[in-house]
Amino acid sequence: MDKPTSVDRRKFLSALGVTVGGTGLAGAGLVAGPPVVKAAAEPPKGKIPDTPYKTGHMTFLTGPAAVLGEPSLKGHILAAEEINAQGGLLGKRKIETITADEAAGTDANVKELRRMKLEGKIDLFTGVISSGNTPALGPVAEELSLLTIFVDGCTDFLFDKAVPQPKYTFRITNIQSADGITTAIGTAQAWPQVRRIAHIHPDYSYGRNAAEHYTLALERLLPGTEVVSESWPKLGTTDFTSHITKAMSANPDILYTSVWGGDYIAFYKQALRYGLFDKMKVATTLAMGVAPHAIGKDHPEGVLAGVHSNYYFTYPSGDRWPINKEFVQRYYKRWNEYPNFQSDGAYVTLYMLKKAIERANQLVGGWPDDEVIISQLEGMGYDAPAGYLYIRPDNHQGYKDAVIGFSKNLPEYQFSTWDPNRVITIPIRNITAPPNWPKPGQGHNESTAAANWIKTTWPKAVG
Amino acid sequence: MSILIIQILNSLFYASVLFLIAAGLSLIFGVMRIVNMAHGTFYAVGAFVTAWLVGRVIALGVPAAWTFLLIPVGAGAVALLGVVIEPLLRPFYRRAEEYQLLVTFGLLLILEDLIRLLWGGLPLSADPVMDVLPSIRIGGLIYPGYNLVVIAIGAAAAIGLWAVIYRTKFGVMLRATSQDRRMASALGLNVSLVYVSAFAIGCFMAGLGGAIIVPTQTAVLGMGIDALILAFVVVVIGGLGSLQGALVGALIVSFVRTAGIQFFPEIELAVLYLIAAVVLLVKPTGLFGTA
Repeated sequence: MDKPTSVDRRKFLSALGVTVGGTGLAGAGLVAGPPVVKAAAEPPKGKIPDTPYKTGHMTFLTGPAAVLGEPSLKGHILAAEEINAQGGLLGKRKIETITADEAAGTDANVKELRRMKLEGKIDLFTGVISSGNTPALGPVAEELSLLTIFVDGCTDFLFDKAVPQPKYTFRITNIQSADGITTAIGTAQAWPQVRRIAHIHPDYSYGRNAAEHYTLALERLLPGTEVVSESWPKLGTTDFTSHITKAMSANPDILYTSVWGGDYIAFYKQALRYGLFDKMKVATTLAMGVAPHAIGKDHPEGVLAGVHSNYYFTYPSGDRWPINKEFVQRYYKRWNEYPNFQSDGAYVTLYMLKKAIERANQLVGGWPDDEVIISQLEGMGYDAPAGYLYIRPDNHQGYKDAVIGFSKNLPEYQFSTWDPNRVITIPIRNITAPPNWPKPGQGHNESTAAANWIKTTWPKAVG
Repeated sequence: MSILIIQILNSLFYASVLFLIAAGLSLIFGVMRIVNMAHGTFYAVGAFVTAWLVGRVIALGVPAAWTFLLIPVGAGAVALLGVVIEPLLRPFYRRAEEYQLLVTFGLLLILEDLIRLLWGGLPLSADPVMDVLPSIRIGGLIYPGYNLVVIAIGAAAAIGLWAVIYRTKFGVMLRATSQDRRMASALGLNVSLVYVSAFAIGCFMAGLGGAIIVPTQTAVLGMGIDALILAFVVVVIGGLGSLQGALVGALIVSFVRTAGIQFFPEIELAVLYLIAAVVLLVKPTGLFGTA
C-alpha cells in the first residue's frame, strides 16, 4: 500500500489482514516488536523496601460517565488485590490506591494530579477516561516526572500534539481514530453494497473523530458512498426521537453511530420502536463496549457492535486464550458482573507495571528507578485478557488488534452479546499510522496522523 | 408528509416532558420565590423510582399492563420526597438568592449521590410499560402508541394545573401567598401548609415527567442536571413563575430543537441557547414574565 491506486476490494480487505469468524489473534500489534517475554520467575535481587507502592487512580466516580469509571476502578482494584495477595510488587511493596473523581472537571483534575503527587506522594498515576482530560494531564505528569499510565482518554491528540515526546506518560487503550476505521472496515466487510450513509454522533471530540475517520476509510473501501443525513446530539441526550425520524427520512442503507453508554441504550430502545432497524443496517463504534450487561435481549441481532476497538469479554474465547477466560471468571467472582474494555485496561496496567518492575529489578537490583521501569515498559509485549498488547517505544501508546462483532442473543447470557462466529479482527498496525509518521503540524494539517496516513497511502477499492 | 407528522408528534412529546419539569420549577418559584437547583434531580428520582419498581414488578410475574399504575406511584414518591424536603428549605426563603442557590445546589449533589448509591452507575430501563400499547402506522412508518399517551398526559397536566390554580379555593390561597405572604398569613391562611403543598405539587410534576419518560428511554446518572438546564432555558424564554410561560416556552424549545435537528444538524447544541439569549436581550423577564 504505497501509492493511492485502485485495488480489488477483497484483496484490499485481505491486505488489511481482516479476519472474520473469531479465528484472529494473529501476530497482534507487534510492530517490529520483541517476542513476548514470559514474566520473570527469578526471585527479586537486592534489598527491596516494604513501604507501600502508592497509586492514584482518577476516573469518573459520579455522573453519567461513572458507567465507564466504575469498571476501570474495579479492574484496578482486582489487579492490586491479586498482586498484594502474593506479597506485593517484588514480593514486598503492597499496592495502595487513592482515588479521585474525574467528573470534577479538567482544571480541577490537573490540580488534583499535582496534589496527589506532592501531598499524596503517589508513585504511579493511572485511570482517566475522558479525551478532554488526558491532553491536559499528560504535560503536567511529564513536568512532575510522575510515571503515568492512562487507561483510556484515547484521543490521538495526546501523543500527536499534547505530549509528542513522552517520557513518563503511557496509554493502554487503542487510539480513538482506530474506532472509526475499525467500524468502516467492518461495514465494508459485511455490507459492501451500502452507499447511502446516515450519521448520528455525540457532539464532542469523540463523535467528531469517529465520524471523520469512518468516512475517510469508507471512501477508500467503498468508493461512491455518500453521507445522506447527519445529527449531532449533545453528549448525555436521551431523547433521540427527532434524530431517528430525521435519519429515516433520508432513506439511508446504513446508520453509523458513535453514541454510547446510557445514550446508546436510550437510542436503540427508541430506534426499535420507530422501526429503524427494519429499514437499514446499523453500525456502531462503542455500543457494546460500555456495559455489556446493560444491552438487553431486545437489542436487534446483526448490528455491527463496536467495543472501542479494544476488548469484549467473550473474545478471544476461552478455549484459545485461557488468560481471558480466567480473567473474566475472577472479575465476575469479585464484582458479580462482566468486565468491559476499561476493566481490562486498568487490570493490565498494573500487571504490565509489575512485569516492568520485575525485569528492571533483574537488571539493576533493589527497587528500580522510574527511568529503568520506563525502559522496560517501552517496547514491552504482554499477554493481556484482550490478546497481545504491545507498547510502542516511539509514542508510548499501547497497541492491540482491533476487534468488532455482531450482536446476537445467546442462551447462556441474560443480555445481547457478540456472535462468536462473526468476530472481525484487524491487525492494529494496518489501521494506525506507523512509527515516525509526521504528526499534525509537521508538513500536514490533518486532525490526526492517522487521517494523513490514510489519505496518503490507502488506495481506492473497486468491485 | 409522514415524516412531518412524526416530527410534529416528536416535538409535542418532548414538549410534554419539558412542560412538566418547567411548570413545577416555575410553580415553586412563583409561590416560594426560590430557584430550586435540585428540581431536575426530582425528575431523575421519578425516573429511577419508576424504572426500579417496573423491574421489580415484572420480575414478580405481574402482567405488563399493570405497570401503568406505577407511573403515578413514581410521581407520588417524588411528591413525598418534596414534603420531607420543603420544611428543611424554609429557613432560606428570606435569605439572599445566593444562599438559596448554594443550598439547593448542595441538595442536588446529595440527591445525585443518593441515586448512585441506591441504583449504581448502570442505566435502568422500564420499556415493558411502553410495549403494552401497540404502534400506530403513519404513512409507511410506525409511531409508538405510548408516546401519544405521554403527549396526552402533558396536555392533561397543563389543563389540570391551570384549573387548580385559577379555578379552586386552594388556587386562590396559592396565588394570595405568592403575592403577599404576610397578608395571607394575617388573614388566617396556613402559609406552611400552602408552602408544603405547592412544593409537593411541583415535585409531583417533575416526578411525573421522569416517570412517563423512563419507559421510552432509560434512567441514567446525570439526567436530572440535563433536565434542569433545559428547564431553565424554557423558563428563561417563557418567564419564571408563569404557567403559560412554561407551556409556551416548552413548545418553542421543542419545536425549534426538532427543526434544528432536521434542517441544521450542526447547530443543534447552540440553537436553544441562541433563542434564550435573544429573549433575554429583547424581553429580559421572558415572554410571560412580570417580575
